[in-house]
Amino acid sequence: MHILLIEDDTEAARFLINGLRESGYTVDHAADGREGLFRITEGSYDLVVTDRMLPHLDGLAIIQLMRQKGIATPVLVLSALGTVDDRIRGLKAGGDDYLTKPFAFAELLARIEALMRRTSGVPDATRLKVGDLDLDLLARRVTRGGREIELTARELKLLEFLMRRAGQVVTRTMLLEGVWDLHFDPQSNLIDVHISRLRQAIDRGAERPLIHTVRGSGYVLRLDP
Amino acid sequence: MRLVLFKTSAFRLSVSYTLLVMAAVGSTLGSAYLLTQSLITDEVDLIIEAELKGLEEKYAQSGVSGLTEEITLKVDSWGRVGAIYLLVDPGFQKIAGNVTRWPFEGMPRENWPEFEIATIEPGRRSAHPVRAAVRTLPGGDRLLVGTDISQGRRWADKFRIATLRGIGLTILAAALAAFWFSFRLSRRVSDVTETCQRIMAGDLGRRLPVVGANDEFDAMATSVNSVLDRLEDQARTLRATFDSAAHDLRAPLHRLRTRMDALLLRAPELKLEPAVYDSIESALVEVDRLQRTLATLLQIALAESGAALASPVAVDVGQLAGELVELFEPVAREAGLTLVGTQSAGLIVHGNRQLLAQLITNLIENALKYVPAGGRIEVSVTEQGEDVRVEVTDNGPGIPADDRARAVQPFARLSHAVTPDSSGLGLSLVAAIARLHRARLSLENNSPGLRVVLDLPRAAAR
Repeated sequence: MHILLIEDDTEAARFLINGLRESGYTVDHAADGREGLFRITEGSYDLVVTDRMLPHLDGLAIIQLMRQKGIATPVLVLSALGTVDDRIRGLKAGGDDYLTKPFAFAELLARIEALMRRTSGVPDATRLKVGDLDLDLLARRVTRGGREIELTARELKLLEFLMRRAGQVVTRTMLLEGVWDLHFDPQSNLIDVHISRLRQAIDRGAERPLIHTVRGSGYVLRLDP
Repeated sequence: MRLVLFKTSAFRLSVSYTLLVMAAVGSTLGSAYLLTQSLITDEVDLIIEAELKGLEEKYAQSGVSGLTEEITLKVDSWGRVGAIYLLVDPGFQKIAGNVTRWPFEGMPRENWPEFEIATIEPGRRSAHPVRAAVRTLPGGDRLLVGTDISQGRRWADKFRIATLRGIGLTILAAALAAFWFSFRLSRRVSDVTETCQRIMAGDLGRRLPVVGANDEFDAMATSVNSVLDRLEDQARTLRATFDSAAHDLRAPLHRLRTRMDALLLRAPELKLEPAVYDSIESALVEVDRLQRTLATLLQIALAESGAALASPVAVDVGQLAGELVELFEPVAREAGLTLVGTQSAGLIVHGNRQLLAQLITNLIENALKYVPAGGRIEVSVTEQGEDVRVEVTDNGPGIPADDRARAVQPFARLSHAVTPDSSGLGLSLVAAIARLHRARLSLENNSPGLRVVLDLPRAAAR
């Protein structure tokens, strides 16, 4: 997996590059917007991670120019401008995700993973299956090993979000955005409480629990512990 | 707010102006009519009196027979069309004249009696109005002299119709002018109102229309526009300042966080002591808190600048509040609190959905923070006339009356606010978002507890 990081803050860039390489990605670095755009058009990347404010060519301008050239590589925008409106502008310009600085490295990793998978997954499946957990989206019916499980509409949406990303770490922020459409961080441990309720419903009495906590990151739904 | 034409001061002014014109034209033409009519009758009366005088003199000279002769002569002579003569004896029997019989019961009471005679003209009968004067002669005979006034009547009628037409046309013209005037005026005023509302709604680039008529409206628009230019400039500078402040504060925070993150990631190979690991982790929590405070400050600044409403969307506030109550309910239950929501559906507000969600979230989190276990928090969204009312009430300790106004100011630390991790910005963000949406926010005593009431202007039905 080949990532291009466009970031003018060299110290921050160094840490990100090290972290990403340790996580098994190949990373190229561009220190300004013009170089970034040049590398995008010349090379072939699976993902572009770009800072919003860059010398020579702004991050949003890079996205617009590459989209005009028909390059559909997913782009994750990193920004020190973190208001709701900046985010909307970033996504409108053609960015695929938006992360406000400072962020936890785990958050960045989770989002990179989500973007990488998004290009390959089957987003329209109406029946999701992980192990003996079965979710029929049309009938809105959940079974675990044949046993029917009653869930509220929101719990169903939460489970769907996790199952679509089975095996991937999802962060609390990703859940707030994806399940509740909230783009700010409430102070309470909201997501933990909701996950623990879902876990009660799904994993209670089961031999192999499916929902796992990933320390310092978030949650993952998968078969292996 | 749409201007209703009939309620504008321009319309009222025009209506009073029209009424004034009506009164002026009506009285002028009315008195001209009355004057003309009296001039006509005065002339008739003079002729009749002169004629009577002449006949009385004849009577004095040569008695009834001379008078009879004179009348017969006058009646027979052509050229005196419309003159009426009648001489009767004391028993009102005709002696001479061109009227067949005495037209009154005895003597008429008025000085200038009017009556009708039937004339036979070739081919048709018609009634003619006659104005006359009567004299009792020394011998007891009575002499009547009159004139056919049908000509004058017709003339007066024509004059009256012309006058009424004139008044009608004047009123019509004045009313049309008034309507046009008030329409034009109120359209320009509503242009101004509409523009101002759009600017208040966040479209800071909008300006009042200057039509080039060089009138007082253009003068006003020009000076208002220069004020707006100035304000927009300030907002832009403010925005740029905040953007660079955000960048300059976040970049080092980001580096700090990334370094600490990198340390934690490499903990196994660095063989970090668990105590060191833990303190780095809690330092990270502090960095995140700092970042959250910064984010809230920036959000307040953004809301205050009005730029956050540049592209408002329709937000179903009841639905939003319902979702948030559902989101927070398990947390409240864990804390031993009851959180309930009551919402009406379809209450739409034009605004920024994320900021409205943040507002309700802050109110709920605030209550969660201060209400002790066993307490109750209610969130309700109801229709309140033109507004959508969001109410968050609790039965916690509340805020003392003296502190309530201060509570919405940034970094206000109230006497009872002892929670160490509260930034003191939650309610000021609520106040800023409320102002942005032109909502009324009030903190009231729920005795016991706090009642926060927010009245958001409801979106007009589309």
